[in-house]
Amino acid sequence: MTSDTLTESAGTALDAAAVERVGANEPQWLRERRQHAWEVYERTPMPTTRLEEWRYTNLKKKLDLDALRFSDAEALSSDPTTWPPQLRAAMDEDREASGHIVIIDGHVVHADVDEGLAAKGVILESLHDAITNHEVLVQEHLATEAVPAEEGKFAALNAALWNDGIFLFVPRGVRLEQPVRVTRWLSEAGTAYFSRVLIVAESASQVSYVDEVLSDDFESQTYTSTAVELIARNGAQVQYVAVQRLGRGAFYQSMQRTLAERDAKLDTLNVALGASVTRVDLNARLLGPGANSDMLGLYFGDGDQHFDFNTSQDHVAPNTFSDLLYKGALDGASRAAFRGIIRVLPGAQGTDAYQTNRNLLLSPDSRADSLPNLEIEADDVKCSHGATVGQLDAEAKFYLMSRGLSLVQAERLVVLGFLGEVLAKLPLGGVVDKVTRVIEQKLALHS
Amino acid sequence: MPQNETIQNLGLDEYKYDFVTETKPVFRAEKGLSETVVRQISAHKEEPEWMLDYRLKALEVYNSKPMPKWGGDLDSLEAVLDEIYFYVRPQEQMERSWDDVPDEIKETFEKLGIPEAERKVLAGVGAQYESEMVYHSLREEWAAQGVIFDSIEDGLKNHPELFREHFGTIIPMHDNKFAAMNAAVWSGGSFVYIPKGVSLDTPLQAYFRVNQERMGQFERTLIIIEEGAQAHYIEGCTAPVYTTESFHSGVIEIVVKKNARFRYTTIQNWSNNMYNLVTQRSIVHEGATMEWLDGNLGSKLTMKYPSCYLVGEGAHGEIMSIAYAGDGQHQDTGGKVVHVAPHTTSSIISKSISKGNGRSTYRGLCKVHKGAHHARSNVECDALLINDTSRTDTYPYIEIEENDASVGHEASVSKIGEEQLFYLESRGISTEEAMAMIVRGFIEPIAKQLPLEYAVELNRLIEMEMEGSVG
Repeated sequence: MTSDTLTESAGTALDAAAVERVGANEPQWLRERRQHAWEVYERTPMPTTRLEEWRYTNLKKKLDLDALRFSDAEALSSDPTTWPPQLRAAMDEDREASGHIVIIDGHVVHADVDEGLAAKGVILESLHDAITNHEVLVQEHLATEAVPAEEGKFAALNAALWNDGIFLFVPRGVRLEQPVRVTRWLSEAGTAYFSRVLIVAESASQVSYVDEVLSDDFESQTYTSTAVELIARNGAQVQYVAVQRLGRGAFYQSMQRTLAERDAKLDTLNVALGASVTRVDLNARLLGPGANSDMLGLYFGDGDQHFDFNTSQDHVAPNTFSDLLYKGALDGASRAAFRGIIRVLPGAQGTDAYQTNRNLLLSPDSRADSLPNLEIEADDVKCSHGATVGQLDAEAKFYLMSRGLSLVQAERLVVLGFLGEVLAKLPLGGVVDKVTRVIEQKLALHS
Repeated sequence: MPQNETIQNLGLDEYKYDFVTETKPVFRAEKGLSETVVRQISAHKEEPEWMLDYRLKALEVYNSKPMPKWGGDLDSLEAVLDEIYFYVRPQEQMERSWDDVPDEIKETFEKLGIPEAERKVLAGVGAQYESEMVYHSLREEWAAQGVIFDSIEDGLKNHPELFREHFGTIIPMHDNKFAAMNAAVWSGGSFVYIPKGVSLDTPLQAYFRVNQERMGQFERTLIIIEEGAQAHYIEGCTAPVYTTESFHSGVIEIVVKKNARFRYTTIQNWSNNMYNLVTQRSIVHEGATMEWLDGNLGSKLTMKYPSCYLVGEGAHGEIMSIAYAGDGQHQDTGGKVVHVAPHTTSSIISKSISKGNGRSTYRGLCKVHKGAHHARSNVECDALLINDTSRTDTYPYIEIEENDASVGHEASVSKIGEEQLFYLESRGISTEEAMAMIVRGFIEPIAKQLPLEYAVELNRLIEMEMEGSVG
């Protein structure tokens, strides 16, 4: 880096001054939390591939934090006609929703929630607004229970520098018939975005949430970091879906933790289709007896895309259930790594835990690494895991071609069928069609 | 010469367990690992200059490498190593006849279930006591066909070119900290050479015994199987129980050439105060087959992952592994298969049993390099947990760089099924016996691959270990 660029980026670097600036108008407790997070960030070394969790992603090569500017864009207008057409197109595809959030370049520019639900106490708003309107609730949950700064280097960086985010609160017994839909758009190349999602579903409530992020291709590396905290109290049902459709040049990082209390059902689906680098950390904690988590993942890579999924299923309480299925197809010179761990803690008797990762390699230069781990410290358990890496099933292709399909058509159908299994397990309105269409577009490029 | 006549001429009837009644070693190096110790070992062995240089360089490599942070708990190992004797020379020379075997070793042999008759039909027998091979014999008919089965020291002395061509090439000293340690202080182990087309119909066996307290054993074995040859090598390990820790770190290098077939069987039953950190690797050439049969029952901590590098087209590697972890034991074992050439196939089957507060870990790697098209690999791990304080872990690394390959891994963890128990008990079988039966059934797929007497012994050991596991 030359001294010129150093001078240019002064004032917009990811540094202590940025932490001060971003928290300038915030209450004291939050400024202190940011300050503390920054200290954790500074004293935590950058992870290297020597760490098991980072074995398959070399950050030295994949991420240049020093070259990134801290996002300082002004919020765009809340007038939808000024929004990028791709964002509006993505929103138009969505069917009915219980509420919407639109985030452009890190700022929440729109939030709405069904009036009837609002009357019942459902809160859906930007994190900034929530700090003003529901300070006690936010203070209790934000970066405390689920993704505190102490989680690691990147959790700390996010907790220090987050710009804005989403707060969703569902009171006891309230059920949302339609999903909450969040659509995000990023446009500034060379920028680092930090956001948070905090969802608290009180006892016996029910909510599903779909978070989609989009962009064009970027000329220089653009980084987006999201910390996702999902809390399901006794008997609550929560579905969380993240759909990542960023352009090339993006480094997408998502740190997710789900806390499922007694008899809660907390399911997640991570769909990764875009970006140059995708890194998802997902930790599901089953904290109360009867808690249950389905964890689904789907990825389709081409070009030089890199995917890295790091999951864990922590069975803390007895009689808990988790089932993970991550499937991906890899074309071009793309690469995927999956590292997952089932931990059954002492005393978590009666645990059922399953974990499956399947990869399809579509081209000679694609690559898949899989590391499904088990750590079992209770004896009355049923645990199993499986991982496969292989190519398209020749017999299935042959069958389809014998029915008059071309080779290309047959291959597309087999891939769609392979990935379709994941979507079929969480058939949320709109998501299946949209994801299938994007995969079809990517498959059209496959030769 | 007819076979029975050969046996008589060899005087095998006179096998009277002849070695080492003397428990006082003829030489013992100072405690701990130092350049002096390395030089003393080399001097005692009257080694060529290049080997001393090799050892000294390896010592530097050892000192430069940090203690591994993964696997078992090695935190207290450094302190243990300071108190350990790295070289104990039990006698001046290796014996070729087998008189005056100490009673305890005789007993150990009996306990291992190898009756005298069985020893007689083995193609060859070697025994290591402390740091040196004290006994080696090979049936004459095999020697006549050019088979070499000797101590590693004699391999270096008598076959220097063959030795130097392969030594340290399969497991270089830089491979890991303990491979470097072994390269610096290796002593004892076997040198095996099976010439082209020779097929041994009975196994070679090596027996390793650590007798003294605070002892470190560092055997080094080099095995070369020429084109189309076949052989089976068995090693057994035991040690008495002391209150202080002992240490064993072997390095086993194997080359299996074109269309050859080789099986390496280990029945490791070290006492529960032993750190057992072993590096075992094979290079498998075109059309050849390598099989590891790895039974780990003893030791405090074992870290051992036998590996097959499938470098020739159509090579096949197989790893079958049984681990038993009782109270205070951690078996961190598994296997590695690395597919480098096309049409290579491999399979890993691992079964583990954890009892009391024992911990068994499967740690494995299946890697398919670019260009190893049509590679096929399957890995299966099953773990059985006996008590609610038992622990099991599975860490299978799967790294695939070739799209025209098929790799699968499956693992399951369970406890003894109540329905199975209930059924057996309803037939009048006691709970204890029913549990032992279920465990025997669990390990059966691997146990049946063992030579009969080992299978019997394994079952007996499991039964003994299962005693008192009810309630």
